[in-house]
Amino acid sequence: MKADKNGVLSGSHVLSGNQACAEGALAAGCRFLGLYPIVPSIEISERFLERAPQVGATFIQMEDEVSALAAVLGASWTGKKSMTVTSGPGLSLMMEHLGLGVMLETPCVIADIQGVGPGLGLPTHPAQGDMMQARWGSHGDYEIVALAPSSPQEMFDYTIKAFNFSERYRIPVAIMSDAHVARLKETVLIPPADQINVEPRRYYEGAKDSYLPFKRDKDFVPRMVDIGQGYRFHVTGLTHDDRGYPIMFEECQEYNVHPLVWKIRQAADKIVEVQETDTDEADVVVVSYGATSRAALKAIKQARDSGIKVGSLKLVTVWPFPEKRVAELAKRARAFVVPEMNCGQVVLEVERNTYGEANVFFVPHGDNGVEHTEDILSAIKQASQTNVAKSGIIELA
Amino acid sequence: MNSIISALNKGIEAAGVDRKRISITSDIPFEPEAVRSLGVDYFQTPRGRAIAFGTGLKLGNPSLKVIPVVGDLMTLGGNHFVHGGRRNMELLVICVNNFVYKKIAGIPAPSTQATFSPYSTFEEPFNFPHLGNSCGAVYTARWTALHTKELAASVSEALHKRGLSMIEVLAPGPNYYRRIDVVESELLQFYFENSVVKNNEDPRNAAITGDDKIIVGKFTDKERPTFIDSYNVQHTKILGDKFTPHGPASEKQKVSGGKNG
Repeated sequence: MKADKNGVLSGSHVLSGNQACAEGALAAGCRFLGLYPIVPSIEISERFLERAPQVGATFIQMEDEVSALAAVLGASWTGKKSMTVTSGPGLSLMMEHLGLGVMLETPCVIADIQGVGPGLGLPTHPAQGDMMQARWGSHGDYEIVALAPSSPQEMFDYTIKAFNFSERYRIPVAIMSDAHVARLKETVLIPPADQINVEPRRYYEGAKDSYLPFKRDKDFVPRMVDIGQGYRFHVTGLTHDDRGYPIMFEECQEYNVHPLVWKIRQAADKIVEVQETDTDEADVVVVSYGATSRAALKAIKQARDSGIKVGSLKLVTVWPFPEKRVAELAKRARAFVVPEMNCGQVVLEVERNTYGEANVFFVPHGDNGVEHTEDILSAIKQASQTNVAKSGIIELA
Repeated sequence: MNSIISALNKGIEAAGVDRKRISITSDIPFEPEAVRSLGVDYFQTPRGRAIAFGTGLKLGNPSLKVIPVVGDLMTLGGNHFVHGGRRNMELLVICVNNFVYKKIAGIPAPSTQATFSPYSTFEEPFNFPHLGNSCGAVYTARWTALHTKELAASVSEALHKRGLSMIEVLAPGPNYYRRIDVVESELLQFYFENSVVKNNEDPRNAAITGDDKIIVGKFTDKERPTFIDSYNVQHTKILGDKFTPHGPASEKQKVSGGKNG
């Protein structure tokens, strides 16, 4: 399906990452924004609020992030593509409804513009400290998709991707951006509406009487209908059967909840996306995502110029993690270098998937932030010169 | 619970609202078949979030009538109710007050009466109609679950109110409430017999103290612009013709009956 022309601001624009995210949402067909304002995500809502009335979209500023995501889930059931925007402290409050969104299989998008935590931290400074929270923060077992844009253009593109994944798999999808990318202003090319692919909602098309709201198709994804049509929905956050009725037995837990996990795991090969350069010949592979990619790519270029065989594995989807690809590369490469704006989160996944076949060097959030190319460059040099296999993650100060 | 479902059924019938346009959101579990018999859509949300979830439903599709049925209204969901009232979001909030957290063995709630509870609480309880009225609700009422006729009439009346309405229903919550040997039906009878109907009473006087008779009746009935009204007025003022008002008169939906109708 192609995008609705109404919401697409085709052309070349100079936009901040946040503004590009709002444009991406409108282009993807998002017509409801539930929000609670928080730095540094304000400009997304500002842009959305400015454009919403003209494209037939609605918004509401709720009383907190808990209710913001609750309202988004509600609006999604009425057939509107819906999103919310927040930062770390807000994401913490949203964990309740992130889990509910997974359990009710409700398509929605959460844009998390990460600042420095924990607690109140440095709200205006960029960080990547929420990566594991998005994956594990809500209680119980679940799988979601998380994307990490590194430029305003990618903010636009990945927001559309996020909506497409959320509709395709009926899950909440997180856009894990950060204050750096959010504020960065760059040229964003917005293609004409007929060149933007938009995943339509997977509606039920059978007889009204035989509709079961949680009956899974071959991809483990149930079909939806909008509420208010006389289907007499029974939707509950309790463990439920195909009818949506609560069933309080272990058997139903396996029947109901395991597919929530498997629908993403079995489709991981289709969902996972990475951007690779020169990895096949590389001695050292730099795994980066989001804003850190920008510094990493510069460091990689400098390292190659000085004769080191280094490749780049930039994550588009952080969750699901490209486990197979990292394992393959680990057999050939000598080491991985992982820069992150945190004290070590996604590096754990890299280390886990090397199965001890390559060294893993970690460049943590330093004094100057990780946009410090020199730190990454020196890590690449050290990685290329270390011939001995070492166990565990080697952290560089 | 059954008496509430029965009152909802009669109220919806009397109000003449199309049942498929009604959504109940609730943070307390309903019996699936019972709620199905109402012919409405039903969402069970996490504790306290029925109003927030309902706000999304109402804004997503303004032609819906949304009825959040809440158990622990003023605890987890307190702020949602306060702001729902302030915005005058078009919701019919049914507050089931059984004075305790019934589902978890009668642990004291913000509605628990000191005198009713042998040794479990010393806190002041909420006066829900007064709270609703202060927050801007356009309709507040209180009935016991035995006032079936009045309750159904209130539901019917409130369904036609434009804005946030709140009906408090005193329902039996057994367990450690009052005396352990008092069973549900007797308790219900106790509420009923100890209540006095005072319509249009100032909700400030309607606190349940345990010493006096419980005041029931309709307390608030006023008009205020709803959230969607104000939203449309504001945007029309600024954007003029470029803005298409948001509201139940979304003709497209009525004509086609929505995507799956």
